[in-house]
Amino acid sequence: MELSLNHRKEGDRTVLEVSGEVDVYTAPKLREKLVELVGEGHYEIVVDMSKVEFLDSTGLGVLVGGLKRVRSHDGNLALVCNQERILKIFRITGLTKVFPIYDTLDEALQDSE
Amino acid sequence: MSGVELHLPPHVQYVALARLVVTAAARQAGMSDERLEDLKIAVSEATANAIIAHASAESPEAVVLFFGATGDGMFEVTIRDAGPGFDPGPAEADMDREWASEGGLGVVLIRGLADDVQFVRGEGMKVHMRFGVGLNGTSH
Repeated sequence: MELSLNHRKEGDRTVLEVSGEVDVYTAPKLREKLVELVGEGHYEIVVDMSKVEFLDSTGLGVLVGGLKRVRSHDGNLALVCNQERILKIFRITGLTKVFPIYDTLDEALQDSE
Repeated sequence: MSGVELHLPPHVQYVALARLVVTAAARQAGMSDERLEDLKIAVSEATANAIIAHASAESPEAVVLFFGATGDGMFEVTIRDAGPGFDPGPAEADMDREWASEGGLGVVLIRGLADDVQFVRGEGMKVHMRFGVGLNGTSH
């Protein structure tokens, strides 16, 4: 399954909806999109991963890279994910302590940090 | 163990095919859905490492996966490449790593998801992983 990326503004946040498989082959596309968004001045990003079918370590690395980019502009990058199989890889790698992770997009948007 | 051998060209687009084929074989062997997810990620990580290392060595050989169920309720996957190999480091150090780096998470995932894994550096690299077919595996 291909990777598909769509972004929109929700108040002062930018929601990036990711669907499909994020792996070593498709992750560069996600990296480019995050670099592009930060370059355009989007520093408060919510990555909605509700429709992600698969995520590997390359995808994790790209998300960490995105987090570092927005933080260098005093921004933040939050994740929306309620799928156990995806959350498990964030737990194993210790990244649940690095990203704010929400069950739903509404919760992510309501939280003013 | 009787098993299936899969030869992959050293291009990262074949990682998706590798995880599909290996998980299909494990499903057929009766692996639970939860364990199939673990297997899928670990195979992807090890195959991606092998393909990238292999491509860097410009070897004309293929990356080789050998996999199948064993008689003792396990499913085994061995992935061989002709790349320069790597030192996976001590397992216990994984959780102390610094997150400044964007790489190196693959080995952490393989160790966290497989019931048993051996990294053998010889001529190239061989990664041998074992997964319990049952609901909780042997160590999860």
